[in-house]
Amino acid sequence: MSISNSVRAVSVSGNPREYEDVHVHAVYDEIASHFSSTRYKPWPIIAEFLSSLPTGWVGLDSGAGNGKYLPLPYDRPGQLWTIGLDRSRNLLRIAQGAGGELREVVWGDVLDVPWRHGAFDYAISIATIHHLSTSARRRDAVKSLLHSISPDHGRALIYVWAVEQDSKSKRVIPSAQPEDQSSTEPQGVDVFVPWVLSDRTAAPEEKRPAGQHEAARSEDELKPKAKVYDRFYHMFAKGELEQLATDAAQAMGLYVGPRDTDSMAMEGMSGVEVCQSGWERSNYYVELRRWRT
Amino acid sequence: MVRLITHNLLACHVKGCNTNNFPLQFQDVQIELREADFNADFLRGFLPKIEWNALVDAARQLGDTSLPQEQPTMIDDDFLKALHHVLLEIHVEEGAMVCPNCKHVYPIASGIPNMLLAEHEIG
Ligand SMILES: [Zn+2]
Repeated sequence: MSISNSVRAVSVSGNPREYEDVHVHAVYDEIASHFSSTRYKPWPIIAEFLSSLPTGWVGLDSGAGNGKYLPLPYDRPGQLWTIGLDRSRNLLRIAQGAGGELREVVWGDVLDVPWRHGAFDYAISIATIHHLSTSARRRDAVKSLLHSISPDHGRALIYVWAVEQDSKSKRVIPSAQPEDQSSTEPQGVDVFVPWVLSDRTAAPEEKRPAGQHEAARSEDELKPKAKVYDRFYHMFAKGELEQLATDAAQAMGLYVGPRDTDSMAMEGMSGVEVCQSGWERSNYYVELRRWRT
Repeated sequence: MVRLITHNLLACHVKGCNTNNFPLQFQDVQIELREADFNADFLRGFLPKIEWNALVDAARQLGDTSLPQEQPTMIDDDFLKALHHVLLEIHVEEGAMVCPNCKHVYPIASGIPNMLLAEHEIG
């Protein structure tokens, strides 16, 4: 599938919600079963995060996809409950049976908070926020995560695709072309990442979404009539995810930084600590912890 | 699935619907009972975070009266077994959940609740 490496830059236009309907949600509904068959291995940082949580905690997987994180932690099955939320109903049908057990899934939008605020002990958002097409919407998705978790002890892990790709990755990424050259904040790059469905696995013709086109037949390695679905991604620059989390917390009036137990001045305060952040296998991640004094 | 563990977390999120928007009321539901693995440690850890009255009322709406109206102070195995059944073994497959405040209807189909809103309903 060499064509899947041809990532190309795009500029987002029109209503972002409608743009994502075409270039994200419709695509995942079409490619759900093929996509799911390629997504089964949990990333190490996420597996470690879930393993570290106390027994009896209940969490939200916001953008759960095929539900591959719902059965974790493998070493303590049933000691956490992760509820999966996604925009793709076809992916949720797969997630309902993730890991061979019945899972709890909800059809919803990662920008919404269809929960009692603060009801979850933890939340994860894996490879999801990078599908939102404006930075304001990406920030709002982080806000929704922070609203969903406990203001006293809630923990969140966010994972997004990085401009800086693993050396093993064959993807060629267009260089970042910041629209606002005067901005000092880190900016990523907006791209289409094609998904190739062979004829055998392709959906019926009449179900094709608007964001799809026929693959060039001159590509020898492609079967005739392979279908290519362009998925929108915002690939994050170094430092951009931490900045987004900080912006989201500040927009909610939260102090950003560790809880200072010695300081009397901190009494009655609500905050978010960035516990860890980094890069793992072509992705950036950030772990957040809410606290209240 | 909509089991009561999930129902105890869901709330109406229509724009401006901020009070009395929990718990959602079940309407015209079809339920299935399916066994789940019992995990006492999970239940003990989750118990303090449950909205108890909402759980008891929801269970009664679904025909299960095994939980006491007040959360007991003594947590024994019989109680945990009843709690396990209510939280994790009653599956709402079809039907709807209705907001007690604004009456918004959230449909449930094939065990998946639809919590999506139209653009004008989003806060
Ligand atoms: Zn309502």
